[in-house]
Amino acid sequence: MRTAQEIGGAAAARTARGASLRTESLTAGYGGSPIVHEISISVAPGEVVSVVGPNGSGKSTLLKGIVGIVEVLSGSVHLDGADVTHRATEEIARLGVGYVPQVDDVFAPLTVAENLEMGGYLLKPKDVPARVEHVLDVFPQLRRMVSRRAGKLSGGERKMLAMGRVLMLEPALVVLDEPTANLAPQIAHTVLDEHVRRLALTGATVLIVEQRARAVLAISDRTYVLAGGRVRMEGTPAELSASSEFVESFLGGGQPAGG
Amino acid sequence: MIYYLTTILVYGGVDAIACLGLSQQFGVAGVTNFGFIIFQAAGAYTAGVLSLPNQSANGGFQSYVGGLGLPWPIPWIGAAIVGGLLALPFASLVGKRLRGDFAAIGLLVTAVMFNLLVTNYRPFLNGAAGLSLVPSPLGGVVDPLSGGYQFGYGIVAIVLAALVYLFLRRVTNSPYGRTLRAMRDNDVVADSLGKNLRSLRTSMLVLGGAIAGLSGGVLVGFINLWDPQAWGYAETIVLFAAVIIGGLGNHSGAVLGAILVPLGFEEASRYIPSIGPAGLIPALQWVAIGLLIVLFLWFRPQGILPERRRKLATAGVPAGPVVLPGAGAADELPDVPTLPPPPVVARHPGASAARGEIVLEAHDLARIFEGVRAVDGVTIAIQRGRLTGLIGPNGAGKSTTLAMLAGTLLPSEGRILYAGEDITGLPAYLRARKGLVRTFQLASEFKKLTVIENLVSAVPGQQGDSFRGAVLGKRYWGAQERQNVERAEHMLERFGLSAHADRYAGDLSGGQRRLVELMRSLMAEPQVLLLDEPMAGVHPRLARQIGHQLLALCAEGMTIVMVEHELSIMDEFCDPVIVMAEGRVLAEGTMAELRGRSEVVEAYLVG
Amino acid sequence: MRPGGTGRKATSSLSIFESSVAFGLITSAVLAIASVGFTLQFAVTNVLNLAYGAVMIAAAFAAYAVNQAGVTIWVAALAAAAVGSVLSLFLNRVIYTPFQRRKTSPIALVIVALGMTLILEFGTQAIAGPTNVSYTMAQGPMLQVGGFALSAAEIAMIGLSLVIMAFVHVLIRYTRLGKAMRATAANRDLARNCGIRTDRVVTVTWIITGALCGIAGAVFGMNAGTFGATSTDVFLVLILAAVFLGGPGEPYGAMLGALVIGVATEVSAAFIVPDYKDVIAFVILLTMLAVRPTGLLGART
Repeated sequence: MRTAQEIGGAAAARTARGASLRTESLTAGYGGSPIVHEISISVAPGEVVSVVGPNGSGKSTLLKGIVGIVEVLSGSVHLDGADVTHRATEEIARLGVGYVPQVDDVFAPLTVAENLEMGGYLLKPKDVPARVEHVLDVFPQLRRMVSRRAGKLSGGERKMLAMGRVLMLEPALVVLDEPTANLAPQIAHTVLDEHVRRLALTGATVLIVEQRARAVLAISDRTYVLAGGRVRMEGTPAELSASSEFVESFLGGGQPAGG
Repeated sequence: MIYYLTTILVYGGVDAIACLGLSQQFGVAGVTNFGFIIFQAAGAYTAGVLSLPNQSANGGFQSYVGGLGLPWPIPWIGAAIVGGLLALPFASLVGKRLRGDFAAIGLLVTAVMFNLLVTNYRPFLNGAAGLSLVPSPLGGVVDPLSGGYQFGYGIVAIVLAALVYLFLRRVTNSPYGRTLRAMRDNDVVADSLGKNLRSLRTSMLVLGGAIAGLSGGVLVGFINLWDPQAWGYAETIVLFAAVIIGGLGNHSGAVLGAILVPLGFEEASRYIPSIGPAGLIPALQWVAIGLLIVLFLWFRPQGILPERRRKLATAGVPAGPVVLPGAGAADELPDVPTLPPPPVVARHPGASAARGEIVLEAHDLARIFEGVRAVDGVTIAIQRGRLTGLIGPNGAGKSTTLAMLAGTLLPSEGRILYAGEDITGLPAYLRARKGLVRTFQLASEFKKLTVIENLVSAVPGQQGDSFRGAVLGKRYWGAQERQNVERAEHMLERFGLSAHADRYAGDLSGGQRRLVELMRSLMAEPQVLLLDEPMAGVHPRLARQIGHQLLALCAEGMTIVMVEHELSIMDEFCDPVIVMAEGRVLAEGTMAELRGRSEVVEAYLVG
Repeated sequence: MRPGGTGRKATSSLSIFESSVAFGLITSAVLAIASVGFTLQFAVTNVLNLAYGAVMIAAAFAAYAVNQAGVTIWVAALAAAAVGSVLSLFLNRVIYTPFQRRKTSPIALVIVALGMTLILEFGTQAIAGPTNVSYTMAQGPMLQVGGFALSAAEIAMIGLSLVIMAFVHVLIRYTRLGKAMRATAANRDLARNCGIRTDRVVTVTWIITGALCGIAGAVFGMNAGTFGATSTDVFLVLILAAVFLGGPGEPYGAMLGALVIGVATEVSAAFIVPDYKDVIAFVILLTMLAVRPTGLLGART
């Protein structure tokens, strides 16, 4: 693959199943003021790792720092061991990172098919149709609506398309920012239980930020809990579910957070 | 030589008057009127047809309406009046609804269209040939061609410019001027503080139009002719260039700009030898104006004479640059001020009323954005004298609910009652005047107002906060202003920001700006205060101190509703707390009760 | 006024109508080339490039210089395209983008664009002189096309416009670059997440639209007969009207808008007063701005 040649060392280290991701005391924020502080997380190849936490805990900012949208103030981001800190977001995309933002996650005036083609922008043009077919196999519901404008899709369909778009590049790492935001509860569960699972089954490593903590726990291998811009807990779903501190980290009641 | 000098005086005076009008409109009030030149043209034409004899005179070689042959100064007065009246229909074009650059284009195009219409329709104002033989003022009494008359005309133009300058300075330096500048910096916030944007903008359009009209009237009396080429759209650009180069928001800058740009270029060309083919020098003049605009906007956007910082604070403020504590790291302020215990003052009219009585209620409130029900049937009742918390996951509809209560957004469905009165359709500024005041989640300070100006701007019912009051002058509003400044200084002291009183609010750190906003909303003398995440970006220690201040205010009778995501704050200060999720109210109670309720836990953990 | 038609026409008003429609189609042809370029610039950079008319006229004069050297105007138009590209690229890279990076307000950007208009227009005038010029070109024989009487040159202008519209259609609908342009216009951040180097896409867009602007300038000059450095001032309003009618940023909307505005102005000229033919475009533009600034086809917010 073209992208693989471009990235040299990082590509060589990448397994077929997915990339590893590591942040080392990452501090990031807007206009020089940090929102997340010294965050160190790691995701092993093929893992599904979620980040949860209350409003304003910095979950989304963390993701944006990783994919190069938000300024990294200190610390570093490593993809398959290669330092990718401070790279432009399109260059990080070229390293095989597919990022699905929370809003504005599709090209609204473009058709579903064109959205997928844009997802495969880095592929050789002759490889695109086959890859579109492959993505439509992963998300068969999209097949009915290939010529519809993305802006006309329902919330759930849109999210499916957004995930399909990042799948076009056979991403080594998929980064999802609150894929269930603004979705009705039932559709939210479909997105997490079905769509994200299918993404994971393609072999990609998945890093997902979610507000629906319990629901995302059910599909995660490991979970980080953020509060006040710092990592407060880390563990497997079983460990976290059993912990009383887990509920407190959302609803307070223990020690005042941040104070 | 005398002729040359008088020309400079007249053109200088006329350009200065026009630039001052634009400076008031654009530089002070932020009303962008790319059709400004139309108003000068209207004034010139008006003065022309008022002073010209009937069109059949002079052998009837011109055709125009009017031709009343009125004596000076009626044509000048008429010029100003018509310029002002013409502005009224424009008021609808400069509203908030349209993207700034789209509105600008609308006005620019209107100017081009007016020119085209006047050019092509001869019976109205003699078409492309324009008016000529416009009588000079008092031309029947004094010989208009005498040097004395011409020099006198120049002096009159300069005196008029000086009067306009003094008048506008009086308006701008008043509380009304402060309100105009506040609107320029952030109109939505000004609206939420009780300022009537529509009336303010209309007043500025009319005032600017009248001043531009006067400049046209003065000009046409001197040059005795006026045609469509004199007011091409490019002339508007020249005036904008003058005001930008001189310094936006500074009337002295506008005068300087008038001398440098329109007058300077006109005069400079006299000294340039006519090299090259015909028309080369005028073309290069325009190129130079274009270059000046672009270069100034890039290298010195504040202009040669930048807007003056107005110092109001009476207390001694350290001179020289103040090092901002913790700038750029709002939540790690090294010098968190220790707030003194809040004084008990019973200034709220509601203080006497029974605590616990329902003061603000919403019934089945809904707001639909593009088919999505962001708020979906919210019914709440807010009790007087309480600090009510509003929490919920992202996207629960908290801020939207707050905005509907304050009138920033109008509800798609439902009713809002305030002190028993239905205020569902009432505009934000009228709600603010009734004591229902909000703050904003995003930074919303008036950047180019000082901290203390930010505070004082919010005081309701200021004598000087009207056009009339501003014109009456400081003797009329000065005493009250001093009281308001004093009150603001007490407020600054209470929140530990006295040292920053005369700094531009836009230069403060994030946490300090939140404080300015909170203080400003308190200056508005609210009975019900709606706070949207007032503690975001504020150091936790300071946040708790603010919490205590808010509790004290509630004890004095104020009612506060606060959206906040830091639940420990809710624990400590808010009772009751309302939980929202998915656009609906989920539960209400103390934080401790809510924590025990499974639907709240589920809302936070599952959604 | 040109002969309206053949003896088949029953009434003279009908023939006036038909000839005015024919005029309108030529205006539409010029307008379409210009409007599509303008609207695509807005789509990818969110700038209302009011200096567009000035670039057109500078390019038209470049074509004039080549035409005077003895080259047919149809070839000289390529010089216009080149000058249009270079000037447009300059405007975007050296002027608009740096101002946008500084978060200059849209209104200040309008003032910048007007400043650039003065520089380009009167820079052209300083070089070319204040007198109006005309291309040396043959009108060719009058031909009957579908009931309209048009000269060969006019048919060629309409043909050129149709070819360019087809080119734009193929470009944005079927090529990788064109889709990247639309993706960049729709959502720049997301485009970058797809690995698209949006800065390059924007640059290429301005090169292409600059060429369209330049060609529009040359065709404008052909259609106008004579032109001077400030001749496009009013034409810019027609462009804006076409763009806002179709919705800013919508290339197909601009095509439709150009057709409507071109025909509407000429037909109104025939039946109302010729002097006011552009007023209808002004009225349409102001109405669109007041009522539906996203245009008839636009859905952008």
